[in-house]
Amino acid sequence: MKRRPLHSVLLYTAVLFLAIFTLAPLVWLVLMSISTPTDLTTVPLNWIPSQIDLSRYAQLLNINDGSGARFLAALRNSMLTAGGATLIALIVAIPAAYAFTRRGAPMILLFVFLATIMMPPITYVLPLYQIFGSFGMLNNTVTLIIVYCALLLPFATWLMKANLDVLPIEIEHAAFMEGASTITTLRRVVLPLALPAIAATGMLSFLVAWDEFFYALIFTSDMSAKTLPVTIADFAAGRVTDYGVIAAVGVLATLPPAILAIAFQRFIVSGLVAGSVKG
Amino acid sequence: MPILSVQSLCKAYGNLDILKDISFDIDPGDFLVLVGPSGCGKSTLLNCIGGLIETTSGRIDIDGKDVTALDPAKRDIAMVFQSYALFPNMNVAQNIGFGLEVRKIPAAERTAKINEVAGLLKITDLLARAPAQLSGGQRQRVAMGRALVRDPKLFLFDEPLSNLDAKLRVTMRTEIKRLHQNLNATMIYVTHDQIEAMTLASKILVMKDGVIQQAGTPREIYNQPVNTFVAGFMGAPSMNLIEAQITFKDNAARISVTRADEPPIQLIDHNAPIGLKAYENKTLTIGLRPESLSDAPMRGQQTPQAVNCLLDVVEPAGADTFAVMHLGGTEVTARLHGDIDVQSGARLDIHFDLSKISYFDRDTTQRI
Amino acid sequence: MSGIGKSNEKWILLAPAITVLLLITALPFVQTFGQSFTDAKITALDRPTLWIGLENYIYALSDPYFREAIGRTLYFTITSVGLEVIIGVGVALLLNQAFRGRTLMRALIILPWAVPTIVNALAWRLIYHPDYGALNSILLQTGLIDNYRSWLGDPKMAMNMVILADVWKNFPLIAYVALASLQTIPGDLLKAAAVEGARPWKRFRAITLPWIMGPLMVVLILRMIEAFRVFDIIYIMTRGGPSDSTKTASFYVYQEYFNYLRSGSGSSYAIIVAGISAVLILAYYVGTRQQNNGANA
Repeated sequence: MKRRPLHSVLLYTAVLFLAIFTLAPLVWLVLMSISTPTDLTTVPLNWIPSQIDLSRYAQLLNINDGSGARFLAALRNSMLTAGGATLIALIVAIPAAYAFTRRGAPMILLFVFLATIMMPPITYVLPLYQIFGSFGMLNNTVTLIIVYCALLLPFATWLMKANLDVLPIEIEHAAFMEGASTITTLRRVVLPLALPAIAATGMLSFLVAWDEFFYALIFTSDMSAKTLPVTIADFAAGRVTDYGVIAAVGVLATLPPAILAIAFQRFIVSGLVAGSVKG
Repeated sequence: MPILSVQSLCKAYGNLDILKDISFDIDPGDFLVLVGPSGCGKSTLLNCIGGLIETTSGRIDIDGKDVTALDPAKRDIAMVFQSYALFPNMNVAQNIGFGLEVRKIPAAERTAKINEVAGLLKITDLLARAPAQLSGGQRQRVAMGRALVRDPKLFLFDEPLSNLDAKLRVTMRTEIKRLHQNLNATMIYVTHDQIEAMTLASKILVMKDGVIQQAGTPREIYNQPVNTFVAGFMGAPSMNLIEAQITFKDNAARISVTRADEPPIQLIDHNAPIGLKAYENKTLTIGLRPESLSDAPMRGQQTPQAVNCLLDVVEPAGADTFAVMHLGGTEVTARLHGDIDVQSGARLDIHFDLSKISYFDRDTTQRI
Repeated sequence: MSGIGKSNEKWILLAPAITVLLLITALPFVQTFGQSFTDAKITALDRPTLWIGLENYIYALSDPYFREAIGRTLYFTITSVGLEVIIGVGVALLLNQAFRGRTLMRALIILPWAVPTIVNALAWRLIYHPDYGALNSILLQTGLIDNYRSWLGDPKMAMNMVILADVWKNFPLIAYVALASLQTIPGDLLKAAAVEGARPWKRFRAITLPWIMGPLMVVLILRMIEAFRVFDIIYIMTRGGPSDSTKTASFYVYQEYFNYLRSGSGSSYAIIVAGISAVLILAYYVGTRQQNNGANA
């Protein structure tokens, strides 16, 4: 079918508009991070930087600089927290998902799992604060890992279940027939088959944990445990007069999830779509 | 002592009864084929024997031991699946050796057994390959190798040939039969293909709607079907089931089959079963296999009875030619010689051989 | 099918997950519920906590500031999710057309979703900056405004500006769900409608929209559940200001807890917010059930 010229013009105009709407805020953030403070404070703005200034990145990646030390510590904490929580959540979620897929666990229970994370965090945060406080575990990466694990677990279980559902059951039957226990079957047969699903689930979980702000804000108080979102909030709330630094922190914090999202786009999009629509 | 004994086995999902009071025994060395249309419960029955599905009630003994509540692992059985169910992340040798590995058999012994089985199945040069690199027939062999290597008491086959193309299916069928003869193993084989059932089995269970219709040797099932379902299901083309009237004269049954626009066919059976007397002057169903209707008298036929019939459709099939006629209100197939030269719409003398005729009650469909 | 004679095994497999969720969500929920009937305060640990029955709830429900916060949260939820659906479906329809660079565009729109919420809030705060922000600059340079404005400083405008930022980050999810659903429409169906003479708008109304409605409703409710909890974007962009014009329910409860340290009354607010969420969650449950049953039929 041949398109009429007018249709084409409209179509490409819409595409262009979408591209600008999607990219402009990001491009602006990057531009800010490499513009000189003078360019950033000109009225009206100098859109194209008069010179490229990478000093904020150098500063943020320098452990001996005050901002750099804060940023790098937060990066480490975020990696540990999101990574640790993702790992534990997967280890707990996979057997649970298997129970729903192959051992007839009631589906309503899975929905109750999901409902727990759909509740606003303000419903849980105060008692958790009090409990962890009474154990002296506030401002501790381990605490965040535990809380995030509960946060990731329902979704990870759900996503793994949806993926295990479509594995051929005969292969598991064959393993049982050959004399394998459930755990052996999971480890030797199901997990290798489900590896792509585990990777997708792990990535989405990691991104959720990487993004979490509320619990981290309340449970952490200094560089030893503060994650990137909290540290960024500090940068933004502090008396930083150079907006370029804030922009640079933002760019650096966006890089890991953005790279993951672009590199594993198919994976992530299918996981997202499945995760939000089916139930 | 039977190697497998199933007693009053029932399986229900909610209100849906899949298996209804199944009981049978088989002896060591038997080749039992479970056959029936899809949904008849044959695969469920196999899975119950294998321990992959919990039974609702009843009892399963293997080699004199009650295994009803045991895990598959503890039943000393092996299973070959329709999809082969090879572990895709392991190579052929690892697939075959998986059961031995799980049972913690030392590596050296394991290798020796894998090689032995691989030799038997002629797949020695495939041992290092991944399942994805194998053809359908090769996968089938690996699946059988995985079953054979543990030398179990019972082999279960769940429609193992249905994913193969027609030619390979025949080859593998022969191979399975040879394996059975050489190993003298006990095998239970599920199929919906009645030719596989006839060729492989030493004993056949015909199932329908979760009930065993008939158990017996292939010959018994073929020649003396207990009801019209078994009669129609086993054999291809299937047995002709024709409505007929019975009268008796001189101790011989006279069978009358109506025809459209023509006088009815009259046939005489001198060896009618005694029970047939009760059906005098009534309508019943007679069963005649296509090979009992031919263009020439059968060898050794005592009283040839020929009737001139109109052939509606003639279908040459190489070795045989099948002709379809209208008798007793249904289509009836006759099996003519392959080299006969007749056209659809022609008339021909058809010879009826009543030595293997079956009589069924029209209402209960049971054999008389 | 349970199978393998191991149907009790499910509880062993589920035990770790259930334990984690009991300890980290169910137990705190019960405690929040319990505290909501007391006059507990976070600091006054030595003071005995009194059981005051429904007093907190009676107060909360008559508190005009809290009611306003709930109203603002609903406004935020409905407006931002509504815009996300309109933009998301529009983008999905666009990305379902054939054009050069389609694959690239489909990949690009994941970027806003991948930007961490905090960075998103920050970026838009900088864009809205009253003195050096990009929005002021671009609107001035194109002649749409005469003077720089304080977008987040104006109580009438602040919430809508926050909503715009939220929509930018979250429209991709709806776009992807709608696109995935669009791709399952049999081409013959639309062709048949075209042959019957249905105009594009008619085709969209008669075929496309009903087809994607199921998944769309489910993701819409899911987004509403998320939007109703909104906290972090508010915290970064406005801290609830100016003059409380962006103070949402979660933020209100947060302040009740950690600024005013009233854990008892804060808990009662939290439980009320949770109750409203529960209604949405129930709607999500019903929606997914219908969705799955429809898919099976």
